[in-house]
Amino acid sequence: MTSPYLLEMRGITKDFAGVVALGGIDLRVREGECVGLCGENGAGKSTMMKVLSGVHPYGSWGGEILWRGEPLRAASVRDTEAVGIVIIHQELMLVPQLSVAENIFLGREPHNAAGLIDFDRMYIESARLLAELRMGHIDPTQPVSRYGGGQQQLIEIARALSKDAKLLILDEPTSSLTSTETATLLRLVHDLKARGTACVYISHKLEEIEEIADTVTVIRDGRFVGEAPMGELTRADIIRLMVGRDMSNLFPREAHEIGDTILQAVGITCLDPDNPARRRVDDVSFSVRRGEILGIAGLVGSGRTELVSAIFGAWPGSHSGEILLDGRPVRIRTPRDAVRLGICMVPEDRKHHGIVPGLAVGYNISLSVLGDLTRGGLIDEARELSDIDAAISRLRIKTASPLLPIANLSGGNQQKAVISKMLGPNPRILILDEPTRGVDVGAKYEIYKLIFALVREGLSIIMVSSELPEVLGISDRVLVIGEGRLRGDFVNDETLTQERIMAAAINAQPISELSAVSHS
Amino acid sequence: MTQGPPPAAISPAVAEAAIGERRRTFRAEHIKTLFSRYKILALLVAIALLWALFAHATDGDFLTARNLSNLLRQMAITGMLACGMVFVIIAGEIDLSVGSLLGLLGGISAILDVQFHLPLALNIAIVVLAGGLVGAFNGYWVAWLRVPSFIVTLAGLLAFRGILLGITGGVTIAPVSRPLVAVAQSYLPTVAGWILAALVFATLATTQMMSRRKRAAFNLAVPPLWADLARLAVYAIGIFGFFAILDAYRGVPLPVLVVIVLLGVLTVMARRTVFGRRIYAIGGNIEATRLSGVNVQMVKLLVFVLMGVMAALAGISTTARLAAGSPSAGSLQELDAIASCIIGGTSMRGGAGTVFGALTGALIMATLDNGMSMLGVDTYWQMIVKGGILLLAVWLDVATTSRR
Repeated sequence: MTSPYLLEMRGITKDFAGVVALGGIDLRVREGECVGLCGENGAGKSTMMKVLSGVHPYGSWGGEILWRGEPLRAASVRDTEAVGIVIIHQELMLVPQLSVAENIFLGREPHNAAGLIDFDRMYIESARLLAELRMGHIDPTQPVSRYGGGQQQLIEIARALSKDAKLLILDEPTSSLTSTETATLLRLVHDLKARGTACVYISHKLEEIEEIADTVTVIRDGRFVGEAPMGELTRADIIRLMVGRDMSNLFPREAHEIGDTILQAVGITCLDPDNPARRRVDDVSFSVRRGEILGIAGLVGSGRTELVSAIFGAWPGSHSGEILLDGRPVRIRTPRDAVRLGICMVPEDRKHHGIVPGLAVGYNISLSVLGDLTRGGLIDEARELSDIDAAISRLRIKTASPLLPIANLSGGNQQKAVISKMLGPNPRILILDEPTRGVDVGAKYEIYKLIFALVREGLSIIMVSSELPEVLGISDRVLVIGEGRLRGDFVNDETLTQERIMAAAINAQPISELSAVSHS
Repeated sequence: MTQGPPPAAISPAVAEAAIGERRRTFRAEHIKTLFSRYKILALLVAIALLWALFAHATDGDFLTARNLSNLLRQMAITGMLACGMVFVIIAGEIDLSVGSLLGLLGGISAILDVQFHLPLALNIAIVVLAGGLVGAFNGYWVAWLRVPSFIVTLAGLLAFRGILLGITGGVTIAPVSRPLVAVAQSYLPTVAGWILAALVFATLATTQMMSRRKRAAFNLAVPPLWADLARLAVYAIGIFGFFAILDAYRGVPLPVLVVIVLLGVLTVMARRTVFGRRIYAIGGNIEATRLSGVNVQMVKLLVFVLMGVMAALAGISTTARLAAGSPSAGSLQELDAIASCIIGGTSMRGGAGTVFGALTGALIMATLDNGMSMLGVDTYWQMIVKGGILLLAVWLDVATTSRR
């Protein structure tokens, strides 16, 4: 019996200690085909891929996986890699200190007769592989840490291909890539398809799915919703299937009043902690007004995160420049100083900087305000729990109990909890660094709603984002950062387009020319 | 949108094999979950088994009130250190210097007593203060100067012992005064013991009932009443049994009383104070905690101060117990304290652990020491067995917690 499919997953079920994660999902991939897998966060996409790649061994889930028509019963990732299924995870799995070539051959290092690693062969083969993937500019002898997140993602793909992958699983591969890097990655996937490598492409970014996928499979709440050729679906169709409702307006803009200048940053310069000769942020000045949403756009690595970290007192390297709050200079040396002055930040890297995974959702939320919740030296539990309850219902955080460890929540709900935590100290200025990264469509919408609710209360928002539609859809004003410098300061009106922002981010135009269009 | 075709029929044999395999996996997972949830219970069962074993091997001598009282007194000093160590480990650090520090502080206490004839209260105050200062010193190096705690306290392990040898000239300081000896060798009167037992039980019972009401008020899952009552009954048996045994000999030994008080105070500190919560948060993710506006360096420093104070209490108790300041006092005690915490379920990765667990671990260590000594097992075998138990305990922990 020959199957028309390379891979068939039938009625996959999986539960964690009684909580159903997958309630019977089908997924089929033909040879050389790219299947886009869509679903909100928590829909079960990642669990599905862990079942497929053998992270969850055969026997711990229900249903059946057929590989070229034969049942596949993998006990570990090793077994699935042996048949040619390779997964590229959301988080990078490279060893930064090792060279590109060592990473590509990690675990399968070629060795000579004496049992020593054959570096020459490793470098030559890596260089060949990288050239084949049009990544000739990457030097296989250099440590991976030399390259940015986007390049690292490409290196990871090169590693997957060196394992002779028949089916490549890409789990949110572009969540930390710039648009140029995303384009490179998509071209790479096209090339692979042409060479006969099938892939499953998981992404929240539907324009990527449209571009790359031949077939789309949609899942929702752990259930199979359906599959169809890409040509038969519009983006709106996919969103409707994913969320189970219409989402015609992605950005719920609301009118709000903008007041006087509250924060001024003058001449902010940040030096690279590892290489003080390098200026990660170079003499950037800007201001924020009360009730204003200031978007900060720019390529990944352009210095946006460094800039807001410096303002929040969290930049590890040395930095200079002046910060004025209500016209008075303030000194912010630690995040604690910033929080006390009414400046809070939701960091970019939720897993490493946002959540305390083992701590309860509620205790994560109350972490920033614990000092104010004491009575007679002890935490006033009743007050703490009622504050937590209020926060959970205000941001509609979905959790079985406020005392559940936050690690058990989906990305979107974790993010809402982190935002909640940073709203606790009642900030006047809230910095959101990539607030919707790895967050599903539904939670995104709620975060946008919240942003507007906050500015209506008079808060000022500084939002760093890599998603230009988001920057344009939300901001009142947009700063563009490129190579550590301020490249533009635009009022967000009808004339501001993604193209203009990109042009400012990439072109090395002097600021004086841009100031003609900038906001006073 | 086309709905996918229904999945093709799976052959019955394959299905059956798959179901069987799933069941087996689930059963294993189930046991794992149960074990990790009731880890403390498992430890208590382990203690019961050990006691039964030793009782059998010693023809009941092990289980006499006199020996159990002895055993608890032996455990008290490791227990004091474990009370501090557990927070150091929860905060994601380690302290290798406490054995030497115990020796140094015990030595200082002996010198103050023997050479300067200071009254006991002043002696204790000075030594506790000194312990806190040394802890602050360690903490400053770790938190502000960013030297890994392993190194800072390894340096302390050498240096504190060196200072002790220097100030004592390498000889035992003796004889210490009667009041100081009484710190380790006096007992709480029987009546006071019973009152204390009643107080402890009443506190536990009220807390539990209040927690029920609070949980209900905030729509949290409330355990069934019978479960809570059963739990209280177990507490009652445990607490009154404990005091009954101690009272059957001479009463509660003072160092044991100190450990009981520490257990209560530090458990409240861990659960109900800002400082306690922040220790867990720092151990879980220090960066996220720092970015929440918490002064994480100060929290770390204070954890080491607490450890220093515990080393001071342990040092005074040791000097009192030996009735002398010995230059070798406390050698390798840091390892017993760390082992107690780890056996008691404290995570080496930080972020998880309890005082009760650490003390249970200390009780297991003391049981092994005491039981094997009674059986006349050679010291070298005792060390091998304790090492093996530590390895086994951590393996069980690793094997029963899920990989992620």
